[in-house]
Amino acid sequence: MSTTTVNQTDCPEVKVPLPLFFTIGVVSLAENLLVVVSVLLNRNLHSPMFCFICSLAAFNTMASLTKTWETLMIVFANVGQLEKKGSSEMNLDDVMDSLLCMSFVGSISSFLAIAVDRYITIFHALRYHNIMTMRRTKTILGVIWITCGVSAVLMVRFFQSKFIMICFVAFFVVSLAMICFLYFYMFMLARIHARKIAALPSSSGGKFGRQRWRGSSMRGALTLTILFGAFVVCWTPFFLHLILLMVCPMNPYCECYRSLFQLHVVLMVSHAAIDPAIYAFRSAELRHTFRKMLLCSDWKQRS
Amino acid sequence: MRNCFRNSQDSDLFNNTERLHIPGDTGSLHQFEMSDFHNRSQTNARRSDYVWQYEYYDDEEPVSFEGLKAHRYSIVIGFWVGLAVFVIFMFFVLTLLTKTGAPHQENPDSAEKRHRPGSCLVDIGSPQDESDKAFSRPLLAESRTYFHFYINEEDQGKQKPEEERDGKHSGARAQRGGRGVGSSGVDEMEEEVEEATGHKPINGLMEESNTDRECAFFSHFNIPNFVNLEHSSTLGDDDLLYEPSAILERQSHSHDAHCDIH
Repeated sequence: MSTTTVNQTDCPEVKVPLPLFFTIGVVSLAENLLVVVSVLLNRNLHSPMFCFICSLAAFNTMASLTKTWETLMIVFANVGQLEKKGSSEMNLDDVMDSLLCMSFVGSISSFLAIAVDRYITIFHALRYHNIMTMRRTKTILGVIWITCGVSAVLMVRFFQSKFIMICFVAFFVVSLAMICFLYFYMFMLARIHARKIAALPSSSGGKFGRQRWRGSSMRGALTLTILFGAFVVCWTPFFLHLILLMVCPMNPYCECYRSLFQLHVVLMVSHAAIDPAIYAFRSAELRHTFRKMLLCSDWKQRS
Repeated sequence: MRNCFRNSQDSDLFNNTERLHIPGDTGSLHQFEMSDFHNRSQTNARRSDYVWQYEYYDDEEPVSFEGLKAHRYSIVIGFWVGLAVFVIFMFFVLTLLTKTGAPHQENPDSAEKRHRPGSCLVDIGSPQDESDKAFSRPLLAESRTYFHFYINEEDQGKQKPEEERDGKHSGARAQRGGRGVGSSGVDEMEEEVEEATGHKPINGLMEESNTDRECAFFSHFNIPNFVNLEHSSTLGDDDLLYEPSAILERQSHSHDAHCDIH
């Protein structure tokens, strides 16, 4: 009997205020829903690249919707409207957790698909339209969605098993490595290309051209850092949590790390909120569609 | 989100006999239990649950906080510091990579100036209207030449007419679909390069990156220009026409060595 444990929980769980969850969820939901609707409405955006971006936005929408709904249910439960241990609530909790899992796995898969698509665009531009046809894109998206759904259900049903968690973490690590490799390879190539262009004496002339080349490469470095950095910063804490759960469940240091669980979930949901800024809003066509939609001016003509 | 991830997982992993599934996803439930344990005066309302919670506590509390040598949040601090260092390091590596290329521009600049024929310089300097006419014929002629070259060399089991049709179709489709591709596929990195260098296309990229037999005809194929078409719409078609001739000149002089076409 551990009465001495009264003052032993030196790492109480850090609680994130529910309004914060709610706000991030609603903002993320609005943004991603806008992206999905824009891509669907504008026929110019029916290309493989935008299909992947739309899929990413759909997964983020699902994640933010589920998280917001869960937050609402917690509010109701705290107020007393819902019973915390009721069977229907537990089933609902299971459903929400599988939807969250599905959206997280789907987000990572969509990132991977976008990176591969960009890679093919740059390195196989000539055959891009033969390699990445719309039919293949839809097949890939269908496979991604079905796989995510099945794996999410399995993950939630068998979450006690270590094997499932190992699979989840391994999937994340492999995706991270591939995304890192693809983007860095593309960046290296863009750098070489830009250097060649700056080397053209006719293109921009002397050192002025070199300065512009440096400026553009700097912006490329910044873009890549933001993209990859946001992915790593938002997703790694949660997966480290899972790793520590498996590796050192008894260690007090690990326990203190695990007490920050809700913060890590907030990070993941906020990544869903900043994703549109990183991926979707970079496209001028999509921004144009947004403006037309939000201003409600002749968007009907596009559909 | 499952607090089971946090709580009962621990008990599951090292104590299979008493698996306590804490439902709901509120940390508040767990928090309440902890404060319950601390303040026994509050247990009256939950007397029936108290024992159960106590057992749960018993399961969880082998984690002892006594005798910690380092700060208890050391893993957290170490992780975040490591992550910040990684991101900053990555940024510096990328910017260093962009800077190391610059000093090498001096010699190639002067060398290429000598090699470059005068017509290319003249063409580039000319206004748009003249360049349209000046470039269109060499563009078509050269592109057709390399087009056929591509067709002849592409030995992936396709027949020639089919290949031609594919090429033409992909060229035509590139025009239509290129808007989508251009606005997104090359967005994040190429957009900066394009803005700064006047939409010099991925032709250069293709030459550098692909295999020898590809690099010859990539540069003459208009898809990369079409890829940039959306961004270059404000500048008109002069980039479209200007670029291939520059690439042509470079091709003839500098890439025969690289491209083992034959």
